Amino acid sequence: MSTTKHPSVLAQTVSTPVILIGGLALIAVLTWAFGSNIFGRTVTEMFIRVALVVGMFTFIGNSGVISFGHAGFMCIGAYGSAWLTIPPMMKKVLLPGLSPMLANAELTFFLSLIIASLFAGVIAFAVGLILMRLSGIASSIATFAMLAVINTIYSNWGPVTGGTSSVVGIPITTGVWISFGGAAAAVVIAYLYGISRSGLALRAGRDEAVAAAASGVDIYRERLIAFTISGALCGMAGVLYAHFLGVVNPDAFYLGVTFISLSMLVVGGMSSLSGAVIGVVLISAIIELLRKMEKGITVGEGTLSLPNGIQEIAIGVVMIVILMFRPGGLTGGAELSLTRTRANDGYSKKDQGSGNHPDNKPRR
Amino acid sequence: MELKSTLTAITVAGSIAFSAGAALADDHEIVIGMATAQSGWMQAYDKPAREAALIRIEEINEAGGLMGKQIRVVEADTKTDRAEGAKAGLEVLDGGAEMVVVSCDYDFGAPAALAAQAAGKISFFLCAESIKAGIPGVGPDSFSASVLAAVQGATMAEWAYQTKDARSFYVLLDTWIEYNKGICDGFDWMAPRLEEAEVVGRDTFVNDDASVAAQITRIKSLPEEPDAIMLCSVMPGAPSVIKQIRAAGINSMILNGSGVDGSYWLDSVPDLSNFYVPVQGSVHGDDPDPRVEEFNVKYAEKFGARPATQYTYPGYVLIDVWAKAVERAGTTETKAVVAELEKMTDEPTLFGPRTFTSELHHQNRARYHIVEVNDGKPGIVDSWTISESIPLDALLK
Amino acid sequence: MTAVLQILFDALSVGSIYALGALGIALIFGVMRLVNFAHGDYIAFCVFAMLWPSLDVVAIVFIGNLPWFLLIPVILGIGAGLSIISEILVFRRLRDANPATMMITSFALGFVIHNVLLMFYSSRPKAINLWSNLSLPVEIMGARIPLLQVITIVMTIVILLALVTFLRRTQFGVEMRAAAEDFTMARMLGVKANRVIMAAFGVSGALAGCIALILATQTGVADINMGLPVMLVAFVATVIGGLGSLHGAVIAGFLIGGVSVLLQVFLPLEARPFRDAFVYSAVIASLLWRPQGLFAPKSSKERV
Repeated sequence: MSTTKHPSVLAQTVSTPVILIGGLALIAVLTWAFGSNIFGRTVTEMFIRVALVVGMFTFIGNSGVISFGHAGFMCIGAYGSAWLTIPPMMKKVLLPGLSPMLANAELTFFLSLIIASLFAGVIAFAVGLILMRLSGIASSIATFAMLAVINTIYSNWGPVTGGTSSVVGIPITTGVWISFGGAAAAVVIAYLYGISRSGLALRAGRDEAVAAAASGVDIYRERLIAFTISGALCGMAGVLYAHFLGVVNPDAFYLGVTFISLSMLVVGGMSSLSGAVIGVVLISAIIELLRKMEKGITVGEGTLSLPNGIQEIAIGVVMIVILMFRPGGLTGGAELSLTRTRANDGYSKKDQGSGNHPDNKPRR
Repeated sequence: MELKSTLTAITVAGSIAFSAGAALADDHEIVIGMATAQSGWMQAYDKPAREAALIRIEEINEAGGLMGKQIRVVEADTKTDRAEGAKAGLEVLDGGAEMVVVSCDYDFGAPAALAAQAAGKISFFLCAESIKAGIPGVGPDSFSASVLAAVQGATMAEWAYQTKDARSFYVLLDTWIEYNKGICDGFDWMAPRLEEAEVVGRDTFVNDDASVAAQITRIKSLPEEPDAIMLCSVMPGAPSVIKQIRAAGINSMILNGSGVDGSYWLDSVPDLSNFYVPVQGSVHGDDPDPRVEEFNVKYAEKFGARPATQYTYPGYVLIDVWAKAVERAGTTETKAVVAELEKMTDEPTLFGPRTFTSELHHQNRARYHIVEVNDGKPGIVDSWTISESIPLDALLK
Repeated sequence: MTAVLQILFDALSVGSIYALGALGIALIFGVMRLVNFAHGDYIAFCVFAMLWPSLDVVAIVFIGNLPWFLLIPVILGIGAGLSIISEILVFRRLRDANPATMMITSFALGFVIHNVLLMFYSSRPKAINLWSNLSLPVEIMGARIPLLQVITIVMTIVILLALVTFLRRTQFGVEMRAAAEDFTMARMLGVKANRVIMAAFGVSGALAGCIALILATQTGVADINMGLPVMLVAFVATVIGGLGSLHGAVIAGFLIGGVSVLLQVFLPLEARPFRDAFVYSAVIASLLWRPQGLFAPKSSKERV
């Protein structure tokens, strides 16, 4: 019987979010000090995507279920904030179907952020009540179906959402620091959920469903909690996005953003928070580099530039190559940490993609 | 010490000369910014209009420039991405743009236009046909160079009624994008004003539906074939629907908006007949105004192929009206130019008259040429201007 | 009676393409446990293979000019070839990776193909005139159905039967299923596993080529997005039908087409734009009722 005190889970793992947020903060400071206006927008977009992917990770990483539907919550959050912050005079003209309470509302950005994110979370809870009964690929397809339903409704309910027409007039308030705040908040919330009872139980259910159920884990309930939290976080990302661009349109929250954010998550490492953040930062950096190369780098007297359109092809190839060599993603399920402890090594080998094939040994 | 102060002096002198040079450059040229799509799927639509704009700029420069100054263009690629579009707008503004030309579509042009508006500069949509491309969707300094989608629907309705005696209409709306709804909204505004016209049925579909069999069955089950089908749709789905309609043996007139202009898609529906679209100018070589054909030839010489659709033309009109306003105002200062633009009433341009008012920076009435496709061959058969302008509240509903 | 028959024919018209698409996806899924998101882009690639790469607005028809008895094998061959190349270059290394990695890799592959097509052909849809006399309707007991749809339905059923027989009865087919279930063991038993999996990809690619020909004939347009709607529904149909069940995927494809048509016919006009929301809600309902799929083989029921 051991008498040594083990450090709490929090103490063992808290270095992870600290490192991640520290890294993001460094990027924010450098951008604010030295970056141009335009570079600031690129970094803001990246932070918003960090918030989105971390939100997705909260559910996908912990439950092991790939959800294609989280862009739907981003949509709900974005439009929710649009309804609350667009000047009432514009709403009367553009969105005549809104209820009087919404039509006359004009809230501050922060209040709207909180309300709209919570609204997205509530919808996630309601939908989750139905969907979380499913497992595996059936669950994934169901989330895709949910995304399609949300997209169809928002694209066609003209008087309330503007339909396929863009909704304008959203005050542009998201800059580098606000989006950094959003990303940091998402990391903190995702981390806290991850070390909570519910998070640990959910991961147990992910790794060994039968044993977890036998130990009393209610997988349905834990999934529902994770789904709700991740819905709220993705809603928050949506609010940040709406206040970044100033206009929203349903097709900005459909297949394009779904696949690019899932790619960033998987390439970074689906089962770890660090993977989510690293995936976004790395892929965004590569995309930006490729775009600069498309615009042309002055080399001596001339400009060296890639043909337009190469950036998309190149990023696809880069992702394929990364996944071919690191099937578990760049982090392979491990977390960035100052302490090497057992608490975090417990991720199943399934996530590292090693499997039974003798040629596929994990590269350590 | 000597060396250091010498170097300092040279540097200071150099920078003064440089900035003076830059300032001199400002006095000798006017900068127009173009934040359009040079990659991504929007490029196929932005490129022709942008090239037409470049032709007009070249013409002005060759004739001595605008107010004596040469026009220089700075460009940035929006990559058919909204966030990138905002950055492209900022980039051209940083490059000294006095006016920002933005994408052919409201959704993709708005971010750059909003950036221009915030910087107090005029933004001009290359060929956006949504009512939002202008004051309602951007701000008081934003304009569009094309004509509202609603005018197309209204024009076809009135023309078919008056010229072809069409009395029974069937409306088939493609709910995929806003432009389509604009066309049908215009149709719905005009239809009640045509006394004997009757809408005998309506239906919807989505552009990429694999088959519109059910929608066609509905049309076939009407007691009589409708005189005209108002199809509010665009590429790539429109040819497929037209093909299926004709294959089912429905021979009604088919009317559409300008989005299906051009002959490049006609191979999809061989020997198509009884199909009509409105255009601002003819790409087929038979425009009543010979200068349009001169433009087509010039465009072909410069860019390797004739304009494919009429959406090339608003780019030319854009630069034309803006330059005229600048000349009349005597300055490129935003408020003055906007004031001159808003005075334009039926201002003649190569592709139809243009009117701007302080309430509407778009066209709610236009002279359209009607193109008929007969036996697979397109050609202008008529011209039409709707009898009254579509009021603002009907457009903003 | 005619009205009911017409609705049935319309449902079959819409469903036949989904069913054929589902077959291609289900085959690879059943054999490889891989959802190949690049399938839609294989379809688009096969359509554009008929044209000479050019940014011109008018399509320069190249291979598309071949007579039908040459065109069909060539396009099927191109589809099979593209699929096999993807297997060799990309999917082979990921055979045991987790499903998410394989999905995202296949999506990235599709993304690359899509943008290559965009670069070489531009995004403006191009016209193709392919066998347009096939779009003419055939009248059966007073109800209309385009000849092309009749051909599609017949082909889907024939291919389905052929594939099922092949997988169950022929040695090569059994080897294919063995290699998918346990690659190492199969090899040890003498199965040329790599070859077998390549064959599976080849067949799936050929099916993509089939759909390409049908879509091109039906719509008359070559558009780089054209495979996407079919693939999405095919993906959904595969899961609803029951993973690992080819006939389940086909029936589910027809079902989704049927539901879509019924809704289009019976919904009031104001609700019709929301048709897809109803269809996908029905999908969710089906999954809740039978999560393992409507026709899943008994072995695949999840235990927890």
